[in-house]
Amino acid sequence: MKKGYWVAAALTLAFLGFGLTAFQKTLTPYLSFDEARKSRGVVQVMGGLDKESDRYDTSRQELSFDLVDPASGGRMPVTYKGTKPANFKDAISIVAIGRFQEGRIEAEKLLVKCPSKYQGAEVEKAYSASSPGKTS
Amino acid sequence: MYVWPGVAAIWGALLSGLACAGTYFAVDRGRRDLLPLARALYSAYATCVVVASAILMTLLLQHRFDVAYVNSYSSRDLPFHFLFSTFWAGQEGSFLLWCFFGSLIGLFVWRSAKEQEAPVMIVYLSTFLGIIAILCKQSPFKLLPPPVPADGVGLNPLLQDPWMVIHPQVMFIGFASLSVPFSFAIAALWKKRWDGWIARTLPWALLTFLTLGTAILMGGYWAYKTLGWGGYWGWDPVENTSLVPWLFTAALVHGMFLQKARKRHRKINLILACTAYATILYGTFLTRSGVLADFSVHSFIDLGITGWLVAILGSFVALSIIMIAFRWRAIPTADDEETPLLSRSVLFILGISVFCALGLVILLGTSAPLLTRLSGTPSQVQTSFYGATTTPAGFLLLLLSGLVAFVSWKGATLRELLVSARRSLIVGAVATTVALGFGARDVASLVLLFTAAFAADMNLRAVMRKAGQGKLGGAGGYLAHVGVGIMLAGVVVSGNYAKIQRLTLKVNTPTMAGDSKLTFVRVVPGSAQRKQAMEVRVETASGKTYYAYPKMYENSKTGQLMANPSIKSGPVTDLYIAPQQYDPGQPEVIGRDVRLAKGTTTNIEGTGFTFRDFNADRAAMMRGEKTILVLTDLTITPPDGTQHDTTIKYVYHLDDRPPEPEELAVPGTPGAKMRVLAVSPNDGAVVLRLTGISKNPADEFQAATVESLSVEVTRKPLIALVWGGFYVMMAGGILAFIKRSGEARRAVVEAGRVEESRRAEPAIPPTGPALPAHSRSTIRD
Repeated sequence: MKKGYWVAAALTLAFLGFGLTAFQKTLTPYLSFDEARKSRGVVQVMGGLDKESDRYDTSRQELSFDLVDPASGGRMPVTYKGTKPANFKDAISIVAIGRFQEGRIEAEKLLVKCPSKYQGAEVEKAYSASSPGKTS
Repeated sequence: MYVWPGVAAIWGALLSGLACAGTYFAVDRGRRDLLPLARALYSAYATCVVVASAILMTLLLQHRFDVAYVNSYSSRDLPFHFLFSTFWAGQEGSFLLWCFFGSLIGLFVWRSAKEQEAPVMIVYLSTFLGIIAILCKQSPFKLLPPPVPADGVGLNPLLQDPWMVIHPQVMFIGFASLSVPFSFAIAALWKKRWDGWIARTLPWALLTFLTLGTAILMGGYWAYKTLGWGGYWGWDPVENTSLVPWLFTAALVHGMFLQKARKRHRKINLILACTAYATILYGTFLTRSGVLADFSVHSFIDLGITGWLVAILGSFVALSIIMIAFRWRAIPTADDEETPLLSRSVLFILGISVFCALGLVILLGTSAPLLTRLSGTPSQVQTSFYGATTTPAGFLLLLLSGLVAFVSWKGATLRELLVSARRSLIVGAVATTVALGFGARDVASLVLLFTAAFAADMNLRAVMRKAGQGKLGGAGGYLAHVGVGIMLAGVVVSGNYAKIQRLTLKVNTPTMAGDSKLTFVRVVPGSAQRKQAMEVRVETASGKTYYAYPKMYENSKTGQLMANPSIKSGPVTDLYIAPQQYDPGQPEVIGRDVRLAKGTTTNIEGTGFTFRDFNADRAAMMRGEKTILVLTDLTITPPDGTQHDTTIKYVYHLDDRPPEPEELAVPGTPGAKMRVLAVSPNDGAVVLRLTGISKNPADEFQAATVESLSVEVTRKPLIALVWGGFYVMMAGGILAFIKRSGEARRAVVEAGRVEESRRAEPAIPPTGPALPAHSRSTIRD
């Protein structure tokens, strides 16, 4: 039986080693927009959705939109060939995973994060935030 | 006032649970007279958990929106079955559901534990008391400050699906029943009773295997028919953290079979029972603490219970490691005759190793954001990681499961094996040839397909052999392996050979998609009973015509645009039509749209437009009026260098009426006009439509568009094998469950008899006097 255990241990270790190599090879870092522009591989970026920029190009079958970095205000155009996530428009932030090519992220995957409270409350909050007396 | 019974019930559960564990301790120290009290306290604990659940359900059904949990997850417009399912829509409710099933399962556990009752129940209870403690802190019965909201926020529209009503329940039955093998394993280590626990907990491990597997499939099927991206598995952390415990449970089930048959390999099962349970706790920590919030499609709100989850996970892992390390030398091992390498025992051990290694690797990938955060930038692995690692593991599992059907415990020679495998090798070769004929060239897929067909046929023949002996009841394992072969063949073919096309269908204009002709006919308006759908006529190559109705509608509560695919399942291929975008078409537009961000200046044909600020009629909004007047302050600087401060009005209606923009002349350019097209208070931006300002009229002309529907058409070959293979696998699991439940009942009766005779003659231990405890148990084995 001992022999069997040795084979099993060797198999397990070999597989774990293989898993670790694959792990290192496919790791995609979270980058800022500027870092993403310089990188070649698959990256992920996060930002708020600019709701005015969201377009669906029916000839290219492609969704395009801009992500805005809430801290710096920088913009990153993103295109995505795939089903628009259901809660896309309500997103408080969107994670795009893909490559930076031709001035935009070509996303392979989108992760959409939504607010727990829904629209009505959001609109009111936003309006009261930009109420008179508050200087910009 | 009606929430205090709920709060009291949860605290009651915590206190009676602690008291119960304490009393069992006393029982274990020799106070057997306290046993009825301990059982009564357990019943009190279970009652409290059930009552707390009943109260939460009542509050939900009665729309008590002043209760925060009710307000966050339910609303008045939900039909009964969805309202029912809001119970587990949030973290607190789903923790309570877990404990609910746990408390019911516990009633069976104490009856089957017999001589191990006290230690088993102490560990079993403690696996739930941590969660109960979390519920005391993060109660589902918290009240909102007044006023009472008229309606709740509602259930996430994606979860409003029949599959999601039952999926979590099935899942938590699986989670709760895995506490049983864990408790028995710890009790076995504690009391050094190395073999009795296997027979009695095998049905519970099988129950976890069945329920967790079913829950995973339901989740996958829900994703396939609802989300519209054409797949059923996305390697999201939430999916992975249910798959990994399932893999470890599969390993545990195999280990238990092995120990039952061979009366050895005890260490493996003690380790596996602890590891399987630990993966559930670790998964709970990953998905519920918010640590992966930026890496998962599912957004998890951090409830501030991360510390608790870490503490629970840490204490159970530490307990397991300490117990196993402490007892390691005492665990009897059988150093007997050398088994040949090609024997069932070795195949089992190898299979268990692959399950564990695969589980660990998936866990590694899922934990990537946590691990990488320690050393810098948090990173995530691409989904290709999972494809790359599961492919060889799937191959190994298929190969082993194929061989195990014709290799006995005593072992087989390679020649014998080849003779008995001949037919199945031919079946595998035929399947591969057919795939080649259909144009499959990818080596990994072909190898997997060959192995899957081989494994399915090997095990099918083993099932027939058993049936021929009249022992179909014992063929559960083989039948499950047949299912695995079929299912993985389906996974490989439907995943690697799906054909995807993206098309825009202009209304009433037939468009070819592969060999079918698709025509977008019309929008079918929604009603109270049905959602708005798109009518698409599909004419197949064989001349058949049918209408597909992919749904596309706005959720009335949240305004989210929901899109569900239409799936036409054929015997061989699913035709999957996922709507992407509906364009109602628009007449030509004259004007030039300019988006201005707050405080920035945009130059259009020499004229500068600066957007200074918004002014909204705040008072009107506080009064709850449906109309808001938005005043936009602009500064216009024409080419002549002058500066004009102006304010432009925009009346916005919160109901369905169209907005009313004011049109003003652009100073400095005769004939030019401007008006507000949209305001975006969230990002502080405004969109102006300008006319008559451009030198080139073409800049102000947007051509008319035709009504159209953009769709993604996917052809999924052999996806029916995924579901079909799964059913076969589950049927095998159920057969095994029935057989092992019978054995477990007999084992319980036997344990009861031994216990009674021991009690009747306490002076004489059953296996003879004057032997230390651990060597006694070795002999009994």
